Amino acid sequence: MAPLTCTKLSVITITGVIIQIIGLSLFVFGFFPVKPALPGTSGSESFYAPTCDFVGNLSDTTLPSDQLKSLYQELSGIPPSFDRLILMVIDGLPAEFVLGKNGKPPNKQFKEGMPYTQSLLASGSAIGYHAKAAPPTVTMPRLKAMVSGAIGGFLDVAFNFNTQAMMDDNLLGQFFRIGWKMVMLGDETWIKLFPRLFERHDGVSSFYVKDTVQVDQNVSRHLGDELWKDDWNLLHNFNWYYFQILHYLGLDHVGHIGGRSSVLMVPKLKEMDEVVKLIHSSINQSQGNRRGRALLVIVSDHGMTENGNHGGSTYEETDSLALFIGLRNHVFDYAPVIKQIDIAPTLALLFGVPIPKNNVGVMIREAFDSLKEDQHLRALELNAWQLLRLLHAQLSGLPCRNFPCDAFYDHQSSDSSECNHTTENMLCCLYMEAAALYTSWKSKRGFESSSNKDYRSTAAAYYKFLKSASEWLSRRTTDKPVKVLVLGLATMFISSVMLSNLMFCRLREIYHGGKQQASNLNDSMNGWSFDETFIISVVLILVTCMTSSSMVEEEHYIWYFFISTFYLLLLRKTAQSLSSVGLQSSFPMQKGKSGEGYFRICCIFLLLISGRILRGWHQGGVNWTSLPDISKWLEQAGSQYVKPLQLISAILVISIGLFALFSIESKGKYFQMVRLIFLISGLLVLLHITRYQDFTFSSTNYGATLLVQIIYAILGATTIGTVVALPWLIPLSTSKISPTDNTISPPFFPSIQEKFPLVEFRDSLYVIGWAYILCWCLLQLLLQQPINTTPILLLLLQTVASVLYFLRSGTHHKEWVEIAGFYYLGMAGHFALGNSNTLATIDVAGAFIGISNHSTFLSGILMFVITYASPMFILLSLVMCISTKSMAHLVIPEKENAGDLLMMMLGFPCLVPLVINSILLTAYTVVLLLMQNHLFVWSVFSPKYLYVCATTVCTFIGVFIVAATGSYTYFVLAKRKQKACTRVYSTCSS
Amino acid sequence: MEESEKSSQSTISSFQVFSIHVCRGLALAKPENCSYLKAISRGLLGLPVGALLNALGALALGAPVGLQYFERTISWTLLMSSLTFVPTACVYGSCWTDWHRIFACTKPKGPLDFMLCLPAHGAVIGAWFGAWPMPLDWERPWQDWPICVSYGAVGGYVAGMVGSLALALMRTGGKQLKAE
Repeated sequence: MAPLTCTKLSVITITGVIIQIIGLSLFVFGFFPVKPALPGTSGSESFYAPTCDFVGNLSDTTLPSDQLKSLYQELSGIPPSFDRLILMVIDGLPAEFVLGKNGKPPNKQFKEGMPYTQSLLASGSAIGYHAKAAPPTVTMPRLKAMVSGAIGGFLDVAFNFNTQAMMDDNLLGQFFRIGWKMVMLGDETWIKLFPRLFERHDGVSSFYVKDTVQVDQNVSRHLGDELWKDDWNLLHNFNWYYFQILHYLGLDHVGHIGGRSSVLMVPKLKEMDEVVKLIHSSINQSQGNRRGRALLVIVSDHGMTENGNHGGSTYEETDSLALFIGLRNHVFDYAPVIKQIDIAPTLALLFGVPIPKNNVGVMIREAFDSLKEDQHLRALELNAWQLLRLLHAQLSGLPCRNFPCDAFYDHQSSDSSECNHTTENMLCCLYMEAAALYTSWKSKRGFESSSNKDYRSTAAAYYKFLKSASEWLSRRTTDKPVKVLVLGLATMFISSVMLSNLMFCRLREIYHGGKQQASNLNDSMNGWSFDETFIISVVLILVTCMTSSSMVEEEHYIWYFFISTFYLLLLRKTAQSLSSVGLQSSFPMQKGKSGEGYFRICCIFLLLISGRILRGWHQGGVNWTSLPDISKWLEQAGSQYVKPLQLISAILVISIGLFALFSIESKGKYFQMVRLIFLISGLLVLLHITRYQDFTFSSTNYGATLLVQIIYAILGATTIGTVVALPWLIPLSTSKISPTDNTISPPFFPSIQEKFPLVEFRDSLYVIGWAYILCWCLLQLLLQQPINTTPILLLLLQTVASVLYFLRSGTHHKEWVEIAGFYYLGMAGHFALGNSNTLATIDVAGAFIGISNHSTFLSGILMFVITYASPMFILLSLVMCISTKSMAHLVIPEKENAGDLLMMMLGFPCLVPLVINSILLTAYTVVLLLMQNHLFVWSVFSPKYLYVCATTVCTFIGVFIVAATGSYTYFVLAKRKQKACTRVYSTCSS
Repeated sequence: MEESEKSSQSTISSFQVFSIHVCRGLALAKPENCSYLKAISRGLLGLPVGALLNALGALALGAPVGLQYFERTISWTLLMSSLTFVPTACVYGSCWTDWHRIFACTKPKGPLDFMLCLPAHGAVIGAWFGAWPMPLDWERPWQDWPICVSYGAVGGYVAGMVGSLALALMRTGGKQLKAE
């Protein structure tokens, strides 16, 4: 194989990276489909047929609620049959417990557990359904689906993870707009979703899963009160409409503790049955008082597995309950299956509000039995119009797009042979057929004789359209395009093979290519030593561990364990080399060497100790977060301990950085300026910490924001200025060998130095590297939570210690091992700063520091900066790490040219992170594909995948910075040297 | 209650192991080099030193810190010390070159070195692997801090013993064949 040249290497690397980006984006968009959602809310326009220009009628949103309500009633043509809605949510109740499975009645103990409900079902006054829930079967997305009728993609779930208020069109908002009063008792998720809608609420936290009694008592204790209060309102002739939500968490908690067959299950069912009985009797009573009718809807948000867990997509989890009490009596032989999203349009139509805009559900047939024929058909029409609008939004090529404009649509329809070509055609054709039948039915309404048959066929046609449209729309949101996924995975695989292959080529060239040089080098350079095996097995073990959900949750332990094991291995290796020369000999030179050994041991101890403190700083993960850790301990101790610690750490970080900048012996004015500016910005950061950091989260302080913006500007300008200007300004030295180099083998060195200013290159990379490090650290001091300041100091110490260790150990370790060690250090630090594989640990508050007006883009960048502080820090410090390396001894003297040297300096620092990351990324993609039906795919594996993607982005950015800085500096210096040489020659010749 | 029982059990077992080791060390130590008494005293001295080193290693790798773990950590380190440190201390005392040969370079010479080196390394590697189930959420009693690590260590130690025995037998067998 031909030896790699610099150009070839960079071209292949860049190709690999681009391929990887393409593959990753293919996979991500295939796996997490982004659902096009219509913005805004449905208004009175939803009672008209879709028009050509879908401009929402905004005027009616400003109407007062009374007028809006009468407007809706007038337009819809369906008189609302209820004026009270009680939505009782029993968290985690599988429909099987109440309705049985596959036509069989439920288990005897469960049946006996709910005698009242069963009697209602038997008499037909309750209508029960198996309501199929869509994954992820966790509470918040399910509640959203129930009230909006829409199925959100995973990314919606991920982005709304912190349960922000629900912005999409939903039933609660519609009810609120027409002036209903809302009451919520139970799970506080509702309050987070709809923060301002409830008139009264009493939320309970769903956090303490061990509590199965108190959560439900907190709901039930208000029950009599609420029912009584209602009567009181009636007594005083308040014409208020009530939407009451009762959310019982206890049954879900029982499941989490003991599974389906827990001994607590039957008593819990009995308790729920009592509640149903209480509510139903109060409804009957109030109906006796000639009050308006009330509808009781009992739903569960999801089912549970045999062990009581939920989140996945098995039958047991998706089999949730929907029970309507108060409709016209209807007895089923066995309960039919509907979708959970069907609840939303049904309730909207029953109560005379517009169907939520993104609804995918179909109205439930039996719920409208009590309506007259024309009202039923009108309801169907409204549902059909709403779905048609949604279809228009998702299918731009819908052929019946402009039909209402043409007004000929009723003449050209009812040709069912055309209904089979494409989805668009079929849906369109089904709709036209139904609409045509409806028009003809309307025109023939006067003649009683034929209308019954026409009514049936019209209703059937409408249901056919609704079912197929709903099917298509909901499949679109959950279906995964297999081809795209496979293509994306294959592309990622190819790119990681490319990159790894490239790295192994480099390895072979460097360590086995030049045999004549191998003899010069240390013995350990050739053997496959233990630390290298370890570095490779880290990747393998990690990949294996990622297939287990518990290990994904507790990934930080793996990294801590690996990194400290790695340092212990280094310690062992140092001990090996130390005593092999140290004790037996009395030569002064070798004594110096043993001093080096002790220095290295000190470095490793520093690494181990600071690593251990970092490990104890945040108790991350999922299962052991409640255990004590240093940050909790400090926060409990109070701010009088946190603040001084923070200040000391910040001062130490700044002084280490400045000391490192000062340690280079150069007297150029430019260096002085760089130091001065960093000193000033450090002082500004300290000022911000002492003065403002207590207030930044509570209020938007103008002074604080301005100060932060000034710091951003100074840091950005200085760093970029340093990178751009330094290579031009650094004085070209005339001395041949720098005094710090003692590992460079003398024969090759002068020739390289003649051609190329190696010393200047390393000096400027050193300064630029420290500028990066200092800039990044100051940013982190500014942005991170106060408690995280000390971990940043420890990370900096670890980086410096490992750079010093590898510098002093010379050729004992191969370069790729060092870089991989750095990368692992960065990952361990990532978790030490309090991050985990759940999206809940992302620091959202810090993302708004120094931003005066809300910008998603800027705060997104800041969030990334905060979350990926440690991996990015390590990648940036690679620039400094490169500058301490002396690669001159590895250049083959005969072939030496500029490109070779650059490849020597930058090859591994760029390749190793890319290779490790691409292997992890590809392996994790495979894991995600394998696990796509796993219980925790949405709660554990998918968030982890988002983190993996973000790590990939971080690696790309970091490697790009390293490579760009290195090559820029190199080319500028080479050009200057060339000029200087020609000038020397010309003066000589003249 | 149960935990303290367990830790006391492991303390007892660690002392048993320790006494076995002293005996073994005595058997290995050649009488012409040093007396039995000397070997015992070396072993007794080596026990706390090894325990300290093991404790430091375990803490660096993430053993929990805290008063409630103190007793358990101590008993575990005593166990580890008697598995790894004491036998070599009995045989070689404080001779740095031998220690270096066995532990830093892993270049044992002869059956005696094998009997010391392989079980000790086996115990350390076994303990390392034994720590893996600890962070998992299985909620089993044996996932508590020193228990599964001790199982791993003992398992690795036994494997090392068997391996060293087999190696020693092979070597001596080979030598005898050559001699014949």
